[in-house]
Amino acid sequence: MHLTHDLELFPDHRVTQLLFKDVKNAAELRQCAMKGEVNGALINPTMLVNPFQVLVAANKAVHLQTIGKMKTRSLYSEIIFNLSPTNKISEAFKRFGISDGDESVMVVLVHNKDEPQPLSDIIARVKGQQVAVEDVSSLSNNTKIQKLYKVTPQEERCGTLLDAVVCRMATKDVV
Amino acid sequence: MAQERSMAVTEFLSKAELIKQGAEARVYRTEFLGKPTIVKERFPKRYRHPALDEKLTHRRTVQEVRSILRCRKAGISTPVVYFVDYTSHCIFLEEIVGSVTVRDHIASAQQSGSRTESELEQLADRVGMILGRMHDEDVIHGDLTTSNMLLKRGPEDGEDELVLIDFGLSYNSALPEDKGVDLYVLEKAFLSTHPNTESLFEKLLKSYAASSKKSAAVVKKLDEVRLRGRKRSMVG
Repeated sequence: MHLTHDLELFPDHRVTQLLFKDVKNAAELRQCAMKGEVNGALINPTMLVNPFQVLVAANKAVHLQTIGKMKTRSLYSEIIFNLSPTNKISEAFKRFGISDGDESVMVVLVHNKDEPQPLSDIIARVKGQQVAVEDVSSLSNNTKIQKLYKVTPQEERCGTLLDAVVCRMATKDVV
Repeated sequence: MAQERSMAVTEFLSKAELIKQGAEARVYRTEFLGKPTIVKERFPKRYRHPALDEKLTHRRTVQEVRSILRCRKAGISTPVVYFVDYTSHCIFLEEIVGSVTVRDHIASAQQSGSRTESELEQLADRVGMILGRMHDEDVIHGDLTTSNMLLKRGPEDGEDELVLIDFGLSYNSALPEDKGVDLYVLEKAFLSTHPNTESLFEKLLKSYAASSKKSAAVVKKLDEVRLRGRKRSMVG
């Protein structure tokens, strides 16, 4: 169901993704996240093409945290910021963070692989149905994604939407 | 602190497979975030003054990454950038699995003679077209050689895909002179690497002229640069 991946560059760090649909308490979850009560990043899955996209964002966030160069204040907000094609933090939160009326949510945790993660805690908190993370593409809004990332039609001929998205995420600080 | 910065990547690369060591960078092959990845590491050059080295290396890394994105936006196939570590100047890119360089492809075609002339001509056509598109985007590759072009095996009856790599010396320019020089570099590399391919290169240029909207001025400059070039006999 959930998906874990150990970051190759930071071997102690494990990234766990959990995906939920038919979520009824998005507003409540958002409030908890703002208050810092949720130990994870709450992401709007309609903006996600593939779990790889999350891994790229998480890897970059941990890297920047390690060298003390994060643009935002916490690792989780940094992950959300890294997903965005722009360098405006508030815009990233608006588009990639969850909003009150959202019906699906992706929870991303970064933790030490030796520490057991209270996944059941998170699962209990979310009033929705947990689904396989690999199914995130069924929730994606490709049109919205194309528009936000400004993916050109020629670009889609030489690569996938995921390619376009990941490339922008990886290069946005110098473009 | 500066030491700590590169540690994670350095540690990681020590376990990766080094596939090429050049004067500028080392290229590794590994798996990253579950995908086959190429890591291009621009290592520090001790023979340079450290401040200059840092500036130059950083600039080359940034230029490479920017040019890759510009090319992709224009529909030119390049590897996808997964991650850039500016502290160790490492670029983590998509590995184009199942590919051969155009250099090896032409070499083997010429050797075995099994591939028809027309197949190589088709290839030259496509290269010309892609370069035309690239120059129309005002991207100068800077190091055009057949070793910097990959042919990726396509689906069963699908076409092989042409992928451009190594944008380390690339930059932005609208000047026909710069584009002409870009083509000149390719011509020199092409003709010296692949003997008896003058007509093939001609085909490439023809295709370039047909696909690039600004090609006339560029080809004119190319002719001028050819006349200028090295080892030109000034004997009247």
